[in-house]
Amino acid sequence: MARRLLGVGIAVMGFVLSGCATVRVSSHVERGLDFSQYRTFDWGPRDALPVGDPRLDKDPFFRDQVEGAIEKQMAARGFERSAASGTPDVRIHYHASINQRFDVREESYSANCDDDDVCPARVIEYEAGTLVVDIVDERTDRLIWRGWAQDSVEGVLGNRNRLKRKIDEGVTRMFERLPRAR
Amino acid sequence: MNRLTRLEGLAATMLVALVVNGCAPIRVNSYLERGVDFRQYRTYAWDRSDSLSTGDPRLDNNRFFSERVQKAVDQQLASRGLEKTESLAPDVVIHLHARVDQRIQSDAIDREYSRCEDGGCRPFVFEAGTLLLDFIDTKTNQLAWRGWAEGGFDGAIDNQDWMETKIDETVAKILVQLPRDTSRNR
Repeated sequence: MARRLLGVGIAVMGFVLSGCATVRVSSHVERGLDFSQYRTFDWGPRDALPVGDPRLDKDPFFRDQVEGAIEKQMAARGFERSAASGTPDVRIHYHASINQRFDVREESYSANCDDDDVCPARVIEYEAGTLVVDIVDERTDRLIWRGWAQDSVEGVLGNRNRLKRKIDEGVTRMFERLPRAR
Repeated sequence: MNRLTRLEGLAATMLVALVVNGCAPIRVNSYLERGVDFRQYRTYAWDRSDSLSTGDPRLDNNRFFSERVQKAVDQQLASRGLEKTESLAPDVVIHLHARVDQRIQSDAIDREYSRCEDGGCRPFVFEAGTLLLDFIDTKTNQLAWRGWAEGGFDGAIDNQDWMETKIDETVAKILVQLPRDTSRNR
């Protein structure tokens, strides 16, 4: 059983990684928590984690795009921005980082492909950006949901349009996994 | 069942436990400080000051991960007669360390450019994890016991159900090595 699961997992991972330029998203959630008890949100204090990446952290365009995309998705899930004077039900933190990661790429159109179009594959190294979004219950100060989006940032960091598209896609698909507010 | 547990314990003391997956088996290992009688310990507490730096932004400060590990350890220790205490004087304090990295399957690298008839030798990149538990004797402030596991964790972070299953399995494999469990030894 475990072996079969693993096989499926590897197959799924392989599929996801080889599909080019797709943002990979997932999330963790507090089990059994009723999200309909929440309605209002606000931003938490700026990220205090040490390991960000200055190319993202210090980029106002990046921050604006991320915050805009998250606010839009929160509204779509039934959350309302709390009044400036009020206490929100949840607070949102986010954190962006860039890491070196490895992937397996198949050489397409290579002279090395055989008659059945089975091509040699090799390991490549790339820079992966990860955006982590945390939603924290304001009353208990506990993390109730964490979502993330991960993708190669090559050719993205220096290109505003591509960066915006990646952020929108990552945040939108990540928030599809968030339970709805009341 | 009893026999199975004993067999597992045997495998653990032999420092090798080959599990499920051919390319990334879970290996467990442990270390008992010389002269320590582990059976003297009755109570434990978690070190809450640990900030879990895992090498993966998805797991850093992620209580869905760290609390699951703690819960799994709590269950295993309870079944071994160790009692969790919130008092200020536990016999041992437990530290948790976790790390996730990408690994490249090495035998595949050797044949990176070769063409394989069965398609079975593509290079293979996967996530591997290390989970380590330190038991510190609070009287001497010395490490009394350390147990750890290393193995494949590929895709587990992105699938919460599967991650929890992997954590439970891994913690059980680490703690089956506790000296208390094989009290006929030592």
